[in-house]
Amino acid sequence: MQRIVVDAMGGDDAPEQVVKGAAEASLTLSDSELILVGDAAAIGKILPTVGHDGSRVRVHHAGAVVHMDEKPSEALAAKPDASIVVAADLVARGEGDALVSAGNTGASVLACARRWKLMAGVRRAALASVYPTELRRGERNDPFSLILDVGATIDATAQDLVTFALMGAAYARIISRNQRPRVALLSNGSEAGKGPREVVAAHDMLIKNTELNFIGNIEGLDIPRGVADVVVCSGYVGNVAIKMLEGVSETVLRLARYAYKERLLWRAALAMLSSGIERLKQITDWEQYGGAPLLGFDNVFIKAHGRSGSRAVANAIRVTSKALRSDLCARINKNLAEFHARIDTAQ
Amino acid sequence: MTETTHVFRWDLDKTYLRSEFESWRDLVKSALENASDKQSYPGASALLRALKQTEGHRICIVSGSPTQMRRVLSAKLALDGIDYDEFVLKNNLKNLVRGRFRALRSQVPYKLPTLLESRVALHATPPETLCGDDAEADAIVYCLYADILAGKVTSGDLEAILRASRAYDDQIARTVGLAEQVVHRDTVGRILIHLDLRSPTARFAKFGARVVPIYNYFQAAMILYADGVLSARQVLFVAIDMLNTSEFELSTLANSAQDLIRRGRISTDVASRLAEEASQASDAVDGNPDLPPFDQIADAFADRVRQLGGAPPLEWPDEHPVLDYVNLVDAEYETRRNRRRGRKSHAS
Repeated sequence: MQRIVVDAMGGDDAPEQVVKGAAEASLTLSDSELILVGDAAAIGKILPTVGHDGSRVRVHHAGAVVHMDEKPSEALAAKPDASIVVAADLVARGEGDALVSAGNTGASVLACARRWKLMAGVRRAALASVYPTELRRGERNDPFSLILDVGATIDATAQDLVTFALMGAAYARIISRNQRPRVALLSNGSEAGKGPREVVAAHDMLIKNTELNFIGNIEGLDIPRGVADVVVCSGYVGNVAIKMLEGVSETVLRLARYAYKERLLWRAALAMLSSGIERLKQITDWEQYGGAPLLGFDNVFIKAHGRSGSRAVANAIRVTSKALRSDLCARINKNLAEFHARIDTAQ
Repeated sequence: MTETTHVFRWDLDKTYLRSEFESWRDLVKSALENASDKQSYPGASALLRALKQTEGHRICIVSGSPTQMRRVLSAKLALDGIDYDEFVLKNNLKNLVRGRFRALRSQVPYKLPTLLESRVALHATPPETLCGDDAEADAIVYCLYADILAGKVTSGDLEAILRASRAYDDQIARTVGLAEQVVHRDTVGRILIHLDLRSPTARFAKFGARVVPIYNYFQAAMILYADGVLSARQVLFVAIDMLNTSEFELSTLANSAQDLIRRGRISTDVASRLAEEASQASDAVDGNPDLPPFDQIADAFADRVRQLGGAPPLEWPDEHPVLDYVNLVDAEYETRRNRRRGRKSHAS
């Protein structure tokens, strides 16, 4: 049976929405045990109010919480009994198989980095994010592309970028059921020689030493178009890109609200478009995806959005279960081993 | 003849047997199934067998299944080794012939007089334990039955409740008559509700402390151990029976125990006493190559208690709440009607 550890205190609406999401997931995942880590008394009050399978949910007390606005390293130093620390510890000790958190991203990454082992050949882990795009992909007709790294670390060498590409492609194959995901490097031009040294070198290595469906470099404007299924970049670039994309989406929404209030004609036009907008919202609803992975460790970690409601948490747990069932870490390990064997042969 | 020392009244569908009645197809499938095809919940038969081991324990099964299914259901109980004392089924063919369509689905007007009739025929006032499920009105019917036995429901109130539950006049007259015949004693100590639909447990808090929602039969066994009805060895046998199925393993049983402790339905003291007494019966486990050694089982349970970090359990609901049965049956009727409408609209 899979043992999925859930940081019950992480997220804007934790523990209520997280516990409710886990409860919902317990009803559909018959091969999983959910370990809710956090304030046992608070969790114990929420669970009876929602339908769940009492034999597949257990509570593991943790006395402290890292809040969303706290500085990760300071918070972890001050709160060794924080729920995310206890949760990462459980997985490190083999008492859990995977971790799900909607909490403070920096603290989550740091807690895992301090306790978990990197896979052989991985120098740096990569945090992924999903972004809704115009083009769809895979058997599931998935509207989301994967972008990594979005901030687990700042810099990345050429080999790090290739490693991110291999890990991201393995993840897309499993979760989006996309057998030949299109992998691209994010750069300032589509030509092979464009971009900083490490991107140019990574471009060369991806062509020569991997069997990925590498489509070359893409520019920022190609991300929302969905030209690539897996977009690879350094944590610094990825973080800037994803925040900008989120900012643009929020601005569009604000402008629409402004238009709705400002003129009757604009309001009427928006009303006429409402069913289309609703459909668009359904297609790009990030709650259906649940979360995105932190790749590179020997264990699975799915980071759910901080604003996750119960549905998003339940879906993040389902994604985690799917990753465990498909043996994601073993598949990534295999891909990495093949890559390193090629490099060794070439040398 | 042995004196009855304790009566256990058990529902069948969704309580003991896995039954699907959500569509006509399910109904037909259930009616055509052989005894060997019918599935009981893990631990259900082991628990009933354990209860029957004590002399004076009486098992009464009351089911809403039609009388035409008696042969196959009796055969199933025999296959499971259940030695029952009473087995009552619903005569729905008679209801159909008489055009009493309300009676086909009604719960309170069928189950309540059946329970009362059995109690009157007993000519004794032993303690009772009742077990039903969350699919229908079992919690309401059982609490009402318990309150009638305790003398808390007047004939006038009972008549109003039966009218609210859409009973026919003759059903009302019969039920009120039976209620007047019972010797009043507060003898229903425990009502177990099997959460077949996984309803939130908080939904049952209004019924008071004696109603305990359970996710599985290990939890039922633990509650009955706490009530002094089962021994630790018998609880262990129920657990072993469940561990021999693919649905349960050591961790899920340990989680079930933690769930009861969190909900304040058993105390850590009772859990510790159970573990201690069960260790004396550990030969039952240690000789079984398919099961982990007893020490490992005990450790898993102790771990679950430790993992709660001393967090206080939920407060118990009121011991003896005064229930507004008219509103309860009205609400239950509406819920059932909405569920049916929901299914219809879902199907269309």
